[in-house]
Amino acid sequence: MTELKNLVKSLLEEGKVTKVIGYRMYGENNTKPYIAVTPNDAEEMVLNTDCRNNLSVYLTKKEIINGGKTGIVAKGCDIRNIIALIQENRIKEEDILIISAECKGVGAEKGSAVYANKCVNCSVKTPHLYHELVEMKGSELSQPKDKYTEAKEKVLAMNSGERFEYFSNMFSECIKCYACRQACPMCYCEQCIADMSIPRWIESSATDRGNLSWNMIRAFHLSGRCTGCNECERACPAEIPLSFINKLMYDTAKEEFNYESGMNKETPTLIGSYNTKDNDNFIQ
Amino acid sequence: MQTEKKTVNQFEPKVIAFVCNWCTYTGADLAGTSRIKYQPNVKLIKLPCTGRIDPVFIIKAFEKGADGVLVSGCHPGDCHYNAGNYHARRRWIMFRKMLETMGIDSNRLHFSWVSASEGKKFTEVVNDLINKVRAAGPFKSYEKINKEYVIND
Amino acid sequence: MEEKRITKENLIKLGSNWVNDGMNVYVNNGKKYTLMKLHEEDLKGFEEAPPLMSYKEIVFPKTEPILYYKKSQKEVEIIEPKIGGVKNIVIGAKPCDAKSISIMSKVFNWDYKDSFFNVRAEESVIIGMACKYNDEHCFCTSVGISPVSTDGSDLFLIPLANDNFGVRIISDKGKELISKYESYFTNGDSEESENVLSSIPIPEKKFNAENVKSWLDKNFESEFWNTTAEMCLGCSQCAFVCPVCHCFDIVDEDYSFTEGRRMKNWDACQNGLFTKHASGHNPRDKQPKRYRQRVSHKFKYYKDKFDEYLCTGCGRCSRGCPAGIDIGEIVERIDKLTN
Repeated sequence: MTELKNLVKSLLEEGKVTKVIGYRMYGENNTKPYIAVTPNDAEEMVLNTDCRNNLSVYLTKKEIINGGKTGIVAKGCDIRNIIALIQENRIKEEDILIISAECKGVGAEKGSAVYANKCVNCSVKTPHLYHELVEMKGSELSQPKDKYTEAKEKVLAMNSGERFEYFSNMFSECIKCYACRQACPMCYCEQCIADMSIPRWIESSATDRGNLSWNMIRAFHLSGRCTGCNECERACPAEIPLSFINKLMYDTAKEEFNYESGMNKETPTLIGSYNTKDNDNFIQ
Repeated sequence: MQTEKKTVNQFEPKVIAFVCNWCTYTGADLAGTSRIKYQPNVKLIKLPCTGRIDPVFIIKAFEKGADGVLVSGCHPGDCHYNAGNYHARRRWIMFRKMLETMGIDSNRLHFSWVSASEGKKFTEVVNDLINKVRAAGPFKSYEKINKEYVIND
Repeated sequence: MEEKRITKENLIKLGSNWVNDGMNVYVNNGKKYTLMKLHEEDLKGFEEAPPLMSYKEIVFPKTEPILYYKKSQKEVEIIEPKIGGVKNIVIGAKPCDAKSISIMSKVFNWDYKDSFFNVRAEESVIIGMACKYNDEHCFCTSVGISPVSTDGSDLFLIPLANDNFGVRIISDKGKELISKYESYFTNGDSEESENVLSSIPIPEKKFNAENVKSWLDKNFESEFWNTTAEMCLGCSQCAFVCPVCHCFDIVDEDYSFTEGRRMKNWDACQNGLFTKHASGHNPRDKQPKRYRQRVSHKFKYYKDKFDEYLCTGCGRCSRGCPAGIDIGEIVERIDKLTN
């Protein structure tokens, strides 16, 4: 198998891509996103168990993707976002070149001995859409505690008043920085509904009410689209467990429609399509 | 209209209905012209299609003090724009589940298909929702976080 | 300087007393400046990284009403909100955070005297604590602060052996705060504290801030910016966690057709909407321009205007950045460009 560095170098030299979005080391046990433009830049490229970022978010940025074919280093979970973006006609497959690897999972955070939550029950360790294959480096880590099932059971045991209280308390920590939105590969609207001022659908103040509405709408706009990469949660400076509600919507899509986003570029998106036989039993 | 006498402090639910222009709104019109009476607690908001009913409207309605919300449009297959209601239905399936998990009781949020000829059904749907909301009492969840939206001088 | 000594247990008890007195007490528990309830919190933070969020919220809340209005057909009635009235105490503030109020106070007082800020600042008492933490993101020494500096603190804690703290009384405000509770303290031994302080390694300067400023003076239009923060997602977490970032946005919120309020909310220069005009034009239309603003504001504009760097070197923005952008590293690169 080709070494990542050599591959990126030759791709750039041969002009098959104009740039490659990848990772480089950032301190000892950490990496950060990086764009290689010249063949020399390729020297710094790495792919290991510290590559936490989901780089597909950069594919939604015009200033990065414009100007020729873009190479991107993507793990299986990131490929799901790339597929979802292709499904939604945000990017064209011919404009990108995916460099992937059999994924070994990534650490939860810098220097962590456990896998990130998104790696639990991952079904795409073997990449499902790629153009070049390389090897991922890094050693095995241990499984994290399953916080999701625990939290889900806790919430489902509550009555509706308690649930409301639980979520409004959870979101009251929100400071409305919108880091969750910016870090999300699926949040690419030119104008976010949260930024609309006339009419102001979502109060921009970080009050309990504004926070709850924002987080509800964010979760809903991602339902059937979120692939569970947990970048929102990683970016959140207020440490709100955003993945919980995302995962819940993900599970709903799976139960109701047997739909998982970002698995197949040919399937129409969940919300963008319909079936005349969809569940009707709640409608009077 | 309910016939029993109202006491002064009886809870009167506020119900907002988001309805499609082509079917349910016309159905409501028919209920009116046919002089079928229904409870007056409902406020209708007309939109071009159920596909136009953004879930943010529903959240906003609850936020601003609605005790119940009705969403209603054309029967499947009857959409004026062919498929607006099919798209809406998918959205509602997801949205209902989310609201339910986040603590907005599903008996405060009704969905229905009411055609232009179903004036009678419209009154039934509305009465049914209002009765359910009346039985459930005022929607208190938002009260706590809405406290700051009152000017105390 | 007057010095006293207190055990950790007594310090927490003292905090509880302040809570009973109706004050808001924030304790550095090693992860967060958490609002203290009674006897619940543990004081940490001597060896831990600065908490994820700074405590600037006590003087500059994430959201606050600046006026309420009521409209009738003929007139608009403006109602002023009540500000302050509750004392805020922070126990265990990092030296890099302690400095923040005095830095911010310059911008809130140079022209218009912002009573929202001033009332709260006047009512806050900062109990700083020496800091032994140092990682690759810390650079307090480069901006004129040190892990043992008492700047901005009203009282200053020095962790001694056996869960004891040396308490230095820095300001009258600090002295007044503890005057009611003298019994919790014993006499201090300034020699022992001095030994602890001198054992704390002072990190080396990572860059020369003056050189950085002089480079910024001349390089508004530079290729450097295009290759600096190209990976920035514009998520603004850097500004929101920053102890001294103070930009805000003003919005009106209506309660009904006749009533409402005007809110002041945190905002951030990394957000594209920050500079967008009503016409649709955006002078900072690309991320590099926004990042240039961030660096220039911190190391040039603020220095020009107020003779102070708008940065305390706490490194929060870099630790939390989802795209791994490290302002210390970038400023270091600028410094190298000047040599």
